[in-house]
Amino acid sequence: MKVAVAGKGGSGKTTIAGTLARVLADRGQRVVAIDDDSNPNLALTVGAGSAVADVPALPRDLLEERADAEGTKRLELSVPAEDFIDRFGVAVRDNLTLLIMGQPHHGGSG
Amino acid sequence: MRGVLNGLVAETARTTIVDLEAGLEHLSRGTARHVDTLLIVGEPYFKSLETASRSFALARDLGIKRIGMVANKVRTPRDEAAVREFADRHGLVVEGVVPFDDAVQAADEHGAALIDYRPAAPSVAAIRRLADGVLAAGR
Repeated sequence: MKVAVAGKGGSGKTTIAGTLARVLADRGQRVVAIDDDSNPNLALTVGAGSAVADVPALPRDLLEERADAEGTKRLELSVPAEDFIDRFGVAVRDNLTLLIMGQPHHGGSG
Repeated sequence: MRGVLNGLVAETARTTIVDLEAGLEHLSRGTARHVDTLLIVGEPYFKSLETASRSFALARDLGIKRIGMVANKVRTPRDEAAVREFADRHGLVVEGVVPFDDAVQAADEHGAALIDYRPAAPSVAAIRRLADGVLAAGR
C-alpha cells in the first residue's frame, strides 16, 4: 500500500504523515516513511529523534538507464528498492524506516 | 531525485508513506501511478479548502486512484460542517477529521513525536481512525 500526503506548509501534513506511519507500523505493517519535502521534518514526527544525524547522504549514481522489451529506455534504480531503503534509511523501529530525499546536502535535487 | 522517488514508490513491497513537497506540481505521473491513496490535508477555512480543491483536481488529472481530504485543526462542529459541506460541493471524500490539539505544538516544543509525547491525544486518536480507513481500503 502506497500513501502520499500533500498539503500546504503549516497545514499539519507532516504531523499527520509521521503519526500515520507510526500507527501503521504499530499495526504490524512494514513501513517506509519517505520525506520528500524540501524542508524535511518528518524525522521528528515519526520519532526518529537524534538518529536523523546518521542519515547517509544519497550518492548520485542511484539511477541507471535500462531498456525494456520494446527497447524503450527508462531510468531505474541501480540498487533494488529494499536494499536501497536499508542502506540509506534510518531504522526508527523494527518495522519502520525513514528515508529523507530532500536534504540540501544530498544535492542534485529536482 | 524525482527518478529515485519514482523508483522507490514503484518497486518497494513495504507500506509506503510519502510526505510530499507542499504542492503537487512536481509529482510526476510515474510516481502518481503507484500511489494507492493521496491524502490532501487542509484546514477549515476558505483559502486552505480552495487550495485543497485545486490539489484534488491536479491529482485526479494524474490518475491517482483514491483521493481523500483530511481536515486538520478542526476546532468546532461548525468547522467540521464547513469542511464537509465544501467537500460535498467539490466531490471530495473526507477521509479524516483531526481536531485542533494543543498536544501538537507541545510535542514540537519538546522536540518529540506527537505519538510519543501524548499517545492518547485526541489528534492521535483521529489519526488512528484515519489509519483504519487507509488499511481497510488497502485490502
